Amino acid sequence: MSLITIQNNHFQLACSGVSYWEEQKALLVADVHLGKISHFRKHGSAVPPTAIQTNFDRLDQAVAQFQPQKIIFLGDLFHSALNAEWNLFENWLQNQQAKIILIAGNHDIISPLHYTQLGVEIYQELWLENFRLTHHPEEKEGSFNICGHIHPGYRLVGLAKQHLKLKCFFRSKNQLILPAFGEFTGTFLMNPEAEDQVFVCAKTEVIRVN
Amino acid sequence: MNKKELLAIAQHWFTNQGWKPFPFQKKAWDAYLKGENGLLNAPTGSGKTYALWVPIVLEYLKKNPDYKTKHQKGLKAIWITPLRALSVEIAQAASRFAEETQSGLTVGIRTGDTSQKERAAQKKAMPDLLITTPESLHLLLSSKNYPKLFKNLNAIVVDEWHELLGSKRGVQTELALSRLKTVAKNLKIWGISATIGNLDQAREVLLGAKSEALQHSTLIKANIQKKIEVKSIIPESMEKFPWRGHLGLHLLDEVVPIINNSKTTLIFTNTRSQCELWFQKLMNKYPEFAGEVAMHHGSINKETRLWVEQAIRNESLKAVICTSSLDLGVDFAPVETIIQIGGPKGVARFLQRAGRSGHQPGKASRIYFLPTHAIELIEASALQKAVEKKAVEDRIPYLQSFDVLVQYLTTLAVSDGFYPKEIYPEIKSTFCFQGLTDEEWRWCLNFITKGSQSLQTYDEYKKVEIEDDGKFKVNQRGVAMRHRLQIGTIVSDAMLTVKYVKGGFIGTIEEWFVSKLSPGDVFTFAGRNLELSRIKGMQVLVRKSKKKTAKVPSWMGGRMAFSAQMSELLREELYEAAESFTVTSSGVEKSPELKALQPILERQQLESIIPKHNEFLIETFKTREGYHAIFYPFEGRFVHEALGSLLAYRISLLSPISFSIAFNDYGFELLSDQEIDMQQLLDNDLFSAKFLMDDLYKSLNATEMARRKFRDIAVIAGLVFTGYPNKLIKSKHLQSSSQLLFDVFRDYEDDNLLFQQAFRETFEHQLEEGRLRQALERIHQQKIVWKSCQKPTPFSFPIITDRLREKLSSEKLEDRIQRMLKQFEK
Repeated sequence: MSLITIQNNHFQLACSGVSYWEEQKALLVADVHLGKISHFRKHGSAVPPTAIQTNFDRLDQAVAQFQPQKIIFLGDLFHSALNAEWNLFENWLQNQQAKIILIAGNHDIISPLHYTQLGVEIYQELWLENFRLTHHPEEKEGSFNICGHIHPGYRLVGLAKQHLKLKCFFRSKNQLILPAFGEFTGTFLMNPEAEDQVFVCAKTEVIRVN
Repeated sequence: MNKKELLAIAQHWFTNQGWKPFPFQKKAWDAYLKGENGLLNAPTGSGKTYALWVPIVLEYLKKNPDYKTKHQKGLKAIWITPLRALSVEIAQAASRFAEETQSGLTVGIRTGDTSQKERAAQKKAMPDLLITTPESLHLLLSSKNYPKLFKNLNAIVVDEWHELLGSKRGVQTELALSRLKTVAKNLKIWGISATIGNLDQAREVLLGAKSEALQHSTLIKANIQKKIEVKSIIPESMEKFPWRGHLGLHLLDEVVPIINNSKTTLIFTNTRSQCELWFQKLMNKYPEFAGEVAMHHGSINKETRLWVEQAIRNESLKAVICTSSLDLGVDFAPVETIIQIGGPKGVARFLQRAGRSGHQPGKASRIYFLPTHAIELIEASALQKAVEKKAVEDRIPYLQSFDVLVQYLTTLAVSDGFYPKEIYPEIKSTFCFQGLTDEEWRWCLNFITKGSQSLQTYDEYKKVEIEDDGKFKVNQRGVAMRHRLQIGTIVSDAMLTVKYVKGGFIGTIEEWFVSKLSPGDVFTFAGRNLELSRIKGMQVLVRKSKKKTAKVPSWMGGRMAFSAQMSELLREELYEAAESFTVTSSGVEKSPELKALQPILERQQLESIIPKHNEFLIETFKTREGYHAIFYPFEGRFVHEALGSLLAYRISLLSPISFSIAFNDYGFELLSDQEIDMQQLLDNDLFSAKFLMDDLYKSLNATEMARRKFRDIAVIAGLVFTGYPNKLIKSKHLQSSSQLLFDVFRDYEDDNLLFQQAFRETFEHQLEEGRLRQALERIHQQKIVWKSCQKPTPFSFPIITDRLREKLSSEKLEDRIQRMLKQFEK
């Protein structure tokens, strides 16, 4: 795990791709893409159904580790229209102590009513002190943006023609982009400038590489 | 009419054309009219169409004596061809005989190029002979009431069977035949094949293992001998000759006199990008060829291709630069000369290409070999011998291709639905699925109905449904439509159409190449320099560009590897070179190729050695890139890929280390940032054949190879939807990368038969287990010569500069990251 400080606030970065905001006692999770596997299966593509449970198991692990008061999903929580995975999500919600907040993303096409019925707060963007939480990266004067959407990844190159591709947290001057949390999602390779900070998610550690 | 009278009709027609039937044609007529099945081994341009079409017509005349006045409607024969381009030729030949004998029989074509309107018309009234591809035949099987279409079918001819045999299209053909055998009662099945190593097996695969059809079958050989002249194009000075590279453009000038001295020349390149480059460079340097030289490859639009083919026939072209797109079929009488650029990698392919020239009786086929780098000259020399010996390869049929089976079952469910009890015996009767177990069969049925083996709660999987009477049926229109779009076993990247902004279709191009371009970039395509304007949906809109420099699309698609026969010839050639090098006074005349190679061989000998037949060479040296270890088994790419990852894996067990592995047809390289302890490697007997498969399976590399195989399997089995034609709309949500899918299967369902098939194909078709064992045994007999060199040797150069590489590591991920960071800081 890695700890970073942004404007006197402390953020822990975990290998699973979540970040824990200590001052707010908030767990930040981007791009879970629930429902993707069910969506495929519904249309006749036989993706293994046993994989569905994994996202929930990994969420449970993160919650157990940080014991947050709030869980904030930075968009693209659901990949698709309402399907059977919604029921699993409902079950999962019932076991949560923390307040659940969703910043809607481009994939979140499920009606907000369904969320509010389950007690999930849903926003287009959320201000917490001087931090602005959105799904799409949006930089605005005088605020720090925390977001997802991009699925950032980073390519490391070494001697003897070696290279590695890993998902990463990407921090620029006024922005922190979280990696996609969901299983069964791709990554987009980032090209950092010298002043940008890149933290790659390895198996057991988060390592700063730029 | 009796048989004699029937044959007289054919004989009479031949005499009218001024021809005399070949013995093999008469044999085929006779066998067919006796009701036999069979395989005809005959080369292109030998009159093979008439060997089988004639008796099909005669059979009809016999059954319908009043044929001149009354036409019996309905499909009577199907002619399956692997290439759409061939269908026109066959149709012309068939129509000619059908008309001139007043049989009243009609001929139609149904391929991917056939218009929607014509398809609909065919459905209403089928032609008597339908010329089609395996894919289009399966599409017919996916239409309602298909058994009615086929019930009066007398014959199926599978043309160029050798081409289909070693691919999944062969499996597709086997499955279609298994169904049609039941639907059509009086069916005769014939295949036509060029010469391959396993003709008997080819017949068995076509007709079904231990089938009744096989028992009533015959193998007919045309035995037409043709003289082939092979010449190498040798550069005048070896100094300028590159050690690697695969374009051969430095010999461009040498090609010009060959073109000028021959009526028409076909210039074969190994890849489409090489084809584009050769065309462009030739036109730039010799503009006088404009209008006389054309280009032909699979991504160019159909009209242009057909135009080029027609232009070859009527002698209006001096030369055509082409790829394997002109390997097959059609006869081009004016073609006098062939030029092969770069190694053809197999003897059969080389002979096939040579055979495209010199069609006039008595004329020899003439082929020039143009090496693209120095070491390929050894290949040239080996090819000369191969042609003398006619050492042709086998085509290995696929076994247990569950992806094709799953697709086929869904096809049947889309049309009329099927009962497993009826279909199972048919499938078991094919060569491909003769070993299918009840359990595997149940697995396939579960897969298409439940999408897995166990029912989960909340599951909404929908594809094939089981109706109350036990019929397996697709009832959802969307599922049926997506399935029809995806029938076939040739998987390519998403293809985008290239068009001018003002309209005008140019061809198709792979998405991943376009994705690397931005508007304003210039690229070469179809011999033109084009500027990308924008990408709209599945269309690439372009303008003509006057810029000289441009990017050339590299089409993906596997690189070809040496066949076993080719590798053996190459080794012999090399050993001979080594012997002649040490015994200077030997009276043996050296081939011109080896003479030309002399300076490079000298340098190799100086810095390392040229291995003799009892020696296995290993070279090690250090460069800025790291520590290189090069091994030279001379066994062909595929075997080297396997050996490389086997060795890397075994070394990585001794201590944590990361490798990058490169390989070509001569040898392979292990590259690392740490020095490899070669003595330790030799002491530990790492070339042992013990636990061979187990070690390979564990090496990460086998997983990577399986991952690539899985890409095709996932598409064929319908796990990945490749999109609606020309539409990105809404399909995007159903597209996923097969890479991610592979990981999901690995982690959650590794007993899935399709997932396992990816590994099986890797071992059987890619790693070639059999050849691998033989190679290891041979190495065991040899003396290992380890040379620690100062710098890269001539032999090593083409390998170490290869950018296509595999990886293997036994280090902890965290350690690797830290070390990369440290190296970066230095």
